[in-house]
Amino acid sequence: MKDRFASFHPLVNFVYFASILVFSMVFMHPVLQAASLISAVVYSIMLNGKKAVKFNLLYMLPLLLVAAVLNPVFNHAGVTILFYLKNGNPITLESILYGISAACMYVTVIVWFSCYNAVMTSDKFIYLFGKIMPALSLIFSMVLRFVPRYLAQIKVISNAQKCIGRDVTQGNLLARARNGMTILSIMTTWALENAIETADSMKSRGYGLPGRTSFSLFRFDARDQSVMLVLIGLIALVLFGALMGENTIRFFPSVKWLAVTPRSIAVYIAYFGLCMVPVIINVVEDMKWKRIESRI
Amino acid sequence: METYRIEDLVFSFPGQERETLSHINLTIASGEFITLCGKSGCGKSTLLRQLKTILTPHGERSGKIYFCNQPIEDMDQRTQASEIGFVLQNPDNQIVTDKVWHELAFGLESLGYDNATIRLRVAEMASFFGIHTWFHKSVTELSGGQKQLLNLASIMAMHPSVLILDEPTSQLDPIAASDFLETVKKINRELGTTIIMTEHRLEDILPLSDRLIVMEAGAIIAEGLPNQVGASLGDKKHPMFLSMPSPMQIQARVSAEPIAPITVKEGRQWLNAFLADKTAAPMPEGKENSKASAPAVIQFKDVWFKYEKNGTDIIKDLSFEVREGQFYCIVGGNGTGKSTTLSLISGLLQPYRGKILIGGKNPAKISAKELFTRNIGFLPQNPQSLFVKKTVELDLHEMLAQTPLSKEEKSEKIRSIVKFAELEHLLAMHPYDLSGGEQQRAALAKVLLLEPRVLLLDEPTKGLDSFFKEKLAVFLQKLNEGGVTIVMVSHDVEFCAKYGELCSMFFDGSIITTNATRKFFAGNSFYTTAANRMARHIWTEGVTIEGVIELCLRSK
Amino acid sequence: MSEKQITGQPLSRRNWLSAVLILVVIPATILLGVFVLEDRKYYFISLLIVFYTMIPFALVFEKRKPQARELIVIAVLAAIAVAGRSAFFMVPQFKPVVAIVIIAGVSFGAEAGFLVGATAGFVSNFFFGQGPWTPWQMFCFGLIGFLAGILFKKGLLKRTKLSLCLFGGLSTFFVYGGIINIGSVMMFSSHFSWEVLLASYVSGFWFDMVHAIATVMFLFILARPMLEKLDRIKTKYGLIEPVSAKK
Repeated sequence: MKDRFASFHPLVNFVYFASILVFSMVFMHPVLQAASLISAVVYSIMLNGKKAVKFNLLYMLPLLLVAAVLNPVFNHAGVTILFYLKNGNPITLESILYGISAACMYVTVIVWFSCYNAVMTSDKFIYLFGKIMPALSLIFSMVLRFVPRYLAQIKVISNAQKCIGRDVTQGNLLARARNGMTILSIMTTWALENAIETADSMKSRGYGLPGRTSFSLFRFDARDQSVMLVLIGLIALVLFGALMGENTIRFFPSVKWLAVTPRSIAVYIAYFGLCMVPVIINVVEDMKWKRIESRI
Repeated sequence: METYRIEDLVFSFPGQERETLSHINLTIASGEFITLCGKSGCGKSTLLRQLKTILTPHGERSGKIYFCNQPIEDMDQRTQASEIGFVLQNPDNQIVTDKVWHELAFGLESLGYDNATIRLRVAEMASFFGIHTWFHKSVTELSGGQKQLLNLASIMAMHPSVLILDEPTSQLDPIAASDFLETVKKINRELGTTIIMTEHRLEDILPLSDRLIVMEAGAIIAEGLPNQVGASLGDKKHPMFLSMPSPMQIQARVSAEPIAPITVKEGRQWLNAFLADKTAAPMPEGKENSKASAPAVIQFKDVWFKYEKNGTDIIKDLSFEVREGQFYCIVGGNGTGKSTTLSLISGLLQPYRGKILIGGKNPAKISAKELFTRNIGFLPQNPQSLFVKKTVELDLHEMLAQTPLSKEEKSEKIRSIVKFAELEHLLAMHPYDLSGGEQQRAALAKVLLLEPRVLLLDEPTKGLDSFFKEKLAVFLQKLNEGGVTIVMVSHDVEFCAKYGELCSMFFDGSIITTNATRKFFAGNSFYTTAANRMARHIWTEGVTIEGVIELCLRSK
Repeated sequence: MSEKQITGQPLSRRNWLSAVLILVVIPATILLGVFVLEDRKYYFISLLIVFYTMIPFALVFEKRKPQARELIVIAVLAAIAVAGRSAFFMVPQFKPVVAIVIIAGVSFGAEAGFLVGATAGFVSNFFFGQGPWTPWQMFCFGLIGFLAGILFKKGLLKRTKLSLCLFGGLSTFFVYGGIINIGSVMMFSSHFSWEVLLASYVSGFWFDMVHAIATVMFLFILARPMLEKLDRIKTKYGLIEPVSAKK
């Protein structure tokens, strides 16, 4: 399906992902972690479909388990000792819980990044940073233009080399690596020589004049405004919770977090709401569309 | 009103005694469409680059250039950037950013326009050039023609009053090229933009131009209305006359008149008038194909090919044979599978059905070394992809590095190739500093060092002017006489008609028809040479310029 | 000498900026981390510091209003590095990125070296996927390019094969491997301890080794021709070192 959240202004996308990623890296409170992980998995499946399911089950689940097991082996803090290893080091409940929590966080961040990669395409990023870093963002744009071109040229060169009897796919590993480097070297000459004309074309179109602006197709409309306000409100609530200590958990020497109160429940809901913003948008738009369709 | 006034312009590159431009005087009126032509290296590109200071190369310069009555050095860069648009040769190199919309806006961003203005201008340009359908695409997805159109549009977005184009269509196929020129014409006609353009493809461009300027060795040798300049070049038997449109060449050699026909239509009218009181000479008998019984060197039997398992078939049920010593041309549109066929012959690709035999063997089964030494030689479309070293000489030596020859034998071999390809004065140069035609000769020399018996050529005339084309033809004919079989894929109908022995028409993944060149073009009514289109109502088999001239002269 | 004076200005501005960052902002971040973030302090602080080190480069570069040709050179080299990373995809860790970054640093100076490295690290992840590793990779590639430029200017790094290969191997193994492993430990276990770091170094040893060998091999074969090509471009098109291009 087509993601509705991606159609919002890049700033909305970026604020959402930046806050979610930072929060997911910082808050280890189990309720918040669970909220973030669940939202990340749901959204990634919405974005990437079957591929995401496979990715989550095949790579993320084992990773989570391994990380959860590894931590207690190295970390022996904590007061609840479960048993001793052969070398005499204790395995504690706290370190196991901590390991699970840390692993869970890692996996959450990775899954969020898989969503980020699908939504924050390069042109959005370049747009956002074009305002504050015009030269660098132009470099990014140029690199993104050159790379596919260079890869195509590598193919052309390796075919041409093959046709004068230099076959990259034949010979042992060393010979192949050497041939590969020759091709890279030929490609470099080609790239540098041709780039001069690109520089001419930039200059010819006035690059380097003072007062360069940065154009984009994106418009910050009413829809973006309302979602942005919701995001900011939720972020403020979560930060308020963080200030009150609602979002933190202490593992060592013993596991401890604040007692659950109405205030903490409000923070949990706000956080879960924040994480689910794109999913909610997708579901609501989907329902709207179905209703429109049923009337036709 | 005048756009440019050039007074006694002299220019030479640093460290060179020779003047690249010598005493140029030229006035260009606003709204004029000017075509500039001349042999490669005659200084036309250098002249164009003088017309926009930021692109002017370093060197000694004297004389004056005025843009709208103002010395060009006094113009600020901002005005120059927006007023003077410049389109370069290579469509790919000019594109800076990764998205079509961003590329369109690039110049306007530099000029510092706000978002709303850019939005409007970009929208206008996209609609004018018909870009709106691929407006959101990545530039990598575009065809060569689309890329060049994008370059043109992104310059037109800045609303220049003059548009300078330096061989803009040399890297495009004929269809894309004439589309591009049509757009340039539209800009000139509908917006009144002054056009100054260099071009090899004069057949398409001369009917559009108001004035033709011919350059030689840095000086202007003729200027005026295209048909008058053409006629006067014809009178002088100037070598540049070979680049002129076919009707003009035919008329000039048959009857000297001050006004020459430019288009096929005018050519036909002239020919009808010329033959009105004469009887058309009969067509001479064509030579019998003597090589039909020679052994086949390339055989395709019911070959099918596709790139992906679920992809569409690129080559469909293709069968043909090339016999030893033939000069075989394959013509046809873009994306019909011509280049793929060459890749199949050279074993780069493999068919999923059918058989390919090269000298009786399957090319995919033999090693690259065996296939490409004393067997098949392949000159790729882009000769730059063959160069490895920093001078031409080292590059030639590199080819023999892995052969067991002695040092003297190698040097001897290289010496003879250098002589053959006329590279003597280029040996110490960097391959990338050579002109297009010279690069191609150097690449050809590299391939010839492997002593191929079959030479495959992919679009060898792309970007070459008529002088280099003639030269290439001489080399190819020499090789062919020496027993080398030549298979050439080309868009260049005129070249195939003049030098090919057999021609095949490729369409939709297969060969539709194959025939001896003259019969082949006589059988087509659209996909044929300009000379044939002009004379086919009288001589169906009059295919080449020379052929038609001879027939005209024999008509009494 | 005169070249040094010309290049002195932007370098010193960058140094000044770096000084502010190092003396004020970084300690503030650490304090903030220690008091506010508690358990997550290590990863977060380290990530912020990595960002900070890159900011002065970006600021100075933007401030300087670089010319079209400078942008092109940086973009082309970064794109070659990224394309190289993709072209050698079949061999894990056998990547030319570090080698190309070092060549860029030697040929065009420390700033260009840093920018080529950081850009290559960043943009390649548009193709391979962004992740928490992106800032670390940018930082490591950039740092190696920067070091190559500085050492070359100081005369400690020569344009000889031996010198370049030695620097390439060592910097890949110790600078890149060393820092990337810290990054992954911080990210993965979210709790810093020397044992975990050591374990990470041990488990990553072969990866880093292959990477270092690859860099040495690439430099051994590519360094000389690549430097020659860059020199040719510099002279043919009047490209001077980007840092000294400013009047």
